[in-house]
Amino acid sequence: MNWFGSVLGILTLLIIGLGFVWVIRGEYFLGYLWWPYILGLGILLVIGSLFLASIWGSALLGVLGASLVWGSTELKDQAVRAEIGWYPANSRPKPRPPFVEIIKQWPAPHL
Amino acid sequence: MNWIGAVSALAAFLGIWLGHVSVRKIEARSPTIWLPTLIALILGLALEAGALLSKSLYLSGALGILGMTVLFDALEFTRQEKRVKKGHAPANPENPRHANILASYPLATSVDWLARPPLGRPLSEEEIREIAREAGA
Repeated sequence: MNWFGSVLGILTLLIIGLGFVWVIRGEYFLGYLWWPYILGLGILLVIGSLFLASIWGSALLGVLGASLVWGSTELKDQAVRAEIGWYPANSRPKPRPPFVEIIKQWPAPHL
Repeated sequence: MNWIGAVSALAAFLGIWLGHVSVRKIEARSPTIWLPTLIALILGLALEAGALLSKSLYLSGALGILGMTVLFDALEFTRQEKRVKKGHAPANPENPRHANILASYPLATSVDWLARPPLGRPLSEEEIREIAREAGA
């Protein structure tokens, strides 16, 4: 019996579960326009996992990277949910990400 | 180079993506909840059995991750139906189960609230009513 995959699968569910939390918090404090940076960070983590010798370290870093990529696509939907009133909307001004005017011209990805 | 991270990332992303899209589509069309739940449960357990029996680290990792996300999707069918009852996910009037929900739950609607770009500010009640009117609900 090889328990590696099933244990990794359970840890993946926990990392995805964290994704629900940070997407809500991230949208609240930063706003959805930071999505390209989250997407880029996720891709960097997956690339970084290639250079980790540890099997568990590499696998978990890869999953964390994938969950950041997924979460970056959820930020736009979360912004709409907060604007409709399903989640608390932050009335304070949100920090503008670098190159915000360029980012605004890009369609925010969503799955 | 250690490819286990990239393989795990791909399996996790595909599992989340396929789960996210297919749960919404299947829940909207299926006349029952129990059948897709049962199928996802069997598929998820089969994938986990594959992960346990696989000698390859890559295959075990990918099957283990995909299996767990499919097992979670089994729960998601019920959670998605609750979203439809609350009006947070659009009801499909063509589906008799959803037609019943539309008739019995005052918040249920066929409006897809998420199918619009964010405005950068909270919407007023009047604007929310206007969106519902435009969507014909």
